[in-house]
Amino acid sequence: MNNTILLIEDKPSLSDALKSLLELHQYTVATAANGEEGIRAARKLRPGLVISDIYMPVLNGLDLLDSFRDDPALQDIPVVMLTARSEIDDIQQALERGAAGYVTKPFLFKNLHAVIRGIFEKQL
Amino acid sequence: MKPNQSIRVSHMLRGIEDPVLIISTDKQVVLNANGKAIEVLANGKTSQLRGLPLQLAYGGERQDAFPKPLPPAFMLPVSQNGEISLIDFRVSPLKIEGKKYWLAIGRKVEQAEELQKKLQDLEQEKSLQQMKVQFMSMTSHEFRTPLTAISSAMDLLEARLQLDGQLSSFHRLQLRKMADEIFQLNAMLDEVLTLSKIAGNNWEADLKPVLPEQIIETLRYQYFSQRKDDRSLLISIDGEPRPILADKDQLAKVFTNLISNAFKYSTQKNPSVKLQYKKKKLVITFRDHGIGIPESDLPYLFTSFFRGSNVDGIEGTGLGLSIVKTFVESNHGTISVSSGVNEGTTFTLVFQEFADAI
Repeated sequence: MNNTILLIEDKPSLSDALKSLLELHQYTVATAANGEEGIRAARKLRPGLVISDIYMPVLNGLDLLDSFRDDPALQDIPVVMLTARSEIDDIQQALERGAAGYVTKPFLFKNLHAVIRGIFEKQL
Repeated sequence: MKPNQSIRVSHMLRGIEDPVLIISTDKQVVLNANGKAIEVLANGKTSQLRGLPLQLAYGGERQDAFPKPLPPAFMLPVSQNGEISLIDFRVSPLKIEGKKYWLAIGRKVEQAEELQKKLQDLEQEKSLQQMKVQFMSMTSHEFRTPLTAISSAMDLLEARLQLDGQLSSFHRLQLRKMADEIFQLNAMLDEVLTLSKIAGNNWEADLKPVLPEQIIETLRYQYFSQRKDDRSLLISIDGEPRPILADKDQLAKVFTNLISNAFKYSTQKNPSVKLQYKKKKLVITFRDHGIGIPESDLPYLFTSFFRGSNVDGIEGTGLGLSIVKTFVESNHGTISVSSGVNEGTTFTLVFQEFADAI
């Protein structure tokens, strides 16, 4: 199983804590601070899963979903959206544009982990 | 009017800001006029108004304006500082010591410019309200990121302590308490944001065809699955589903709130949602088998900041159900509740506006 996770989040304090938590659970974690950096890193690393914030500078998470869907090299990588927005339209839009999961901030790590595990298990 | 009566009436009229006339019913003579009436109708000259028939007092220009009896309303144009404006007089009968008079009170008719200014002020106020709502929305959104960073740092602390074999029940309890408070703060942010929209009149329902069960399914997937107590939300549908006219976001807030409450105030059985599509209405019932609501609390249930007397220790702001009621009604629905202590609670929503009916 490809257990590399690419974490795209512009806030370092959150990104650092999440990276450490994921590493404690034996994932290999790479980070990027915005959507554009995220796409470059994804092409290079081919992660097993991407966790991405929605509201970020340069390229937001919803546009990132479109880029992943349109790129044959990236379209099979599941993307979990991590966002402070919980309006039903946002959730539906993310799911319609191909998100594999949607976790609203703030969250308990175990809930995010359950979503990640569910996606990896589906891939097996 | 006798002289002493006239003085008493003059005193009484003096304090009135609008122009006031007392007119005899027979010859329509202006018997009394307050300072404001003299100022605007006779350029401050008492002799040009008092004691003269209304028609004459008005320079004889409005012969047709004052039929007998005096009509319930008449308008007089006045010239002040070179500007012509209209005074709109309302007339009512007045009886002093058995004698009948007409009492006419005038109000300056708003000029187009003044109306325009008032409209601009209103627009300005509206955009200020919108800015306030935007600010609240941005703030509550921005608050969530540090809250998430705090909760993730706490998760990390717990994981690290556990890994090092140092996680005691004391640590675990304190970390749990902190996490509970973070989520409580987050729930309050949501509610304050919704309330600020309501207070800013920025919540008019955007009615479009929606399928309520789709919203409930999305919410179940997003918020009410993978619960630590392994309970889940049961959904059942009776009849042929068809879209109702409603505001999707507001409906989602209503459902989220009622489903969260159903889980929060019960511990054993699964809460359920039943959608019954009838000929002319959709009935949605949210049912739990929890602590219930004491009968004496029911009348206050939808009041802001009210919380049931038996909720001991269960977190809440007391705002949720007041928001629910506001949104149900703005979507032309009704909400009712039936409950018994330790038997559970059922909220019933009825919507009658189907999208196919238009």
